[in-house]
Amino acid sequence: MNHPGDTGLRRRAGDAPPAIADLIHEATVQEITEQAWLALVGEDELLVPLPAPLPADTLSSWVEIVGPWTGSVVLTCGRATAVELTTALLRDHAPDVLEDEDVDDALGELANVVGGNVKAVLPGPSVLGLPEVGATPPAGSEADTCRVAVLWRGQPLTVSVQSHAERENEVPL
Amino acid sequence: MTVRALVIDDSRAMRRIVTGTLEGFGYETRQAGHGQEALDVLHEGWAPDLCTIDWNMPVMDGLQFVNAVRANPAWRAVTLMMVTSESEHGQIVRALAAGAHEYVIKPFTADAIRDKLALLGLLPQEVSL
Repeated sequence: MNHPGDTGLRRRAGDAPPAIADLIHEATVQEITEQAWLALVGEDELLVPLPAPLPADTLSSWVEIVGPWTGSVVLTCGRATAVELTTALLRDHAPDVLEDEDVDDALGELANVVGGNVKAVLPGPSVLGLPEVGATPPAGSEADTCRVAVLWRGQPLTVSVQSHAERENEVPL
Repeated sequence: MTVRALVIDDSRAMRRIVTGTLEGFGYETRQAGHGQEALDVLHEGWAPDLCTIDWNMPVMDGLQFVNAVRANPAWRAVTLMMVTSESEHGQIVRALAAGAHEYVIKPFTADAIRDKLALLGLLPQEVSL
C-alpha cells in the first residue's frame, strides 16, 4: 500500500544517486564528532584520528536519515568503551550502578547528536529517526560510506555515515 | 523565588544532564520522556516556568508538544526552549513559528544554557551575578 502522498512515481537512485563522498567529507564528520565529544563527554576529551582495530565485542548506536540522501549515522565502539563513555557523559549525574539501558541510552544519544548535525550538512529536507542500539549495526554500502576512525582514551571507535545497502536512494516525485 | 523547569527528552542521559545543569542554577525540576508525558505533568497542575524540549521523541514529538501548549491559554506563561540536535534552519524556524521562545542545538555547554536563560530572564539572580 502506498503512502497517501505517494504517487508511485520515483526518481530512481540510478538516475543521479547522491554519493556520500560528494555530500560530506571525513573532516566534517570528524569535526562534528569532536564538537559532540567536547560538549557532552568533557572539555578535555580529545579524539585522536588514528584508526585501530575494534575489539570483538562491540556496541553500535545509529540514527537513520531519510531524505534526498537516505542512510544511517553509526557510532561503533567496544562494549567496555561504551560503559566508560556513559560514565563520562553522565559525570556527577551517573547512577550508582550503570545498567545496560543506561549505556544504550547514552550511546544512542551520542549518535543522535552527531547524526542531527550530520543531517544539517546533507541536502534537505530530511527526517531524523530515533536512535537505535545493537550489537550489529545496520548494513551499509561499504563503497558508499564516509568513515572516521578515532581513538578516545586510547580506545578505538568509528563514526560512519553510510548509505543503505539494500535500499535505493529514492524520493517521491 | 524558586524557578521550575520541566525537562522533556526521550534520552535518560540527556534528561539527567539538562536537569543537573538547571538544578545547578537553582531550578526545581521534573522530567518527562516525551511530549504526552509532559502534557500529563502540566494537566496535573504542576506549573513550570520553563520547558526544555527535545524534538525527536516517541509518542509525541517536541513540535507537537509546543503546538499543544500554545493551544491552551492556561499555559501561556510557560517559556518553551527547544534543546535538540535538529539544527537545520528550516526546523528552527518551524519551532519558533509554533511558539518556542528559544532554540539550543545539541551539543551544548552549560554556559550556552545559562546565556539563553539570562536572555529569557529566567536565570536566578544569584547565578547571574
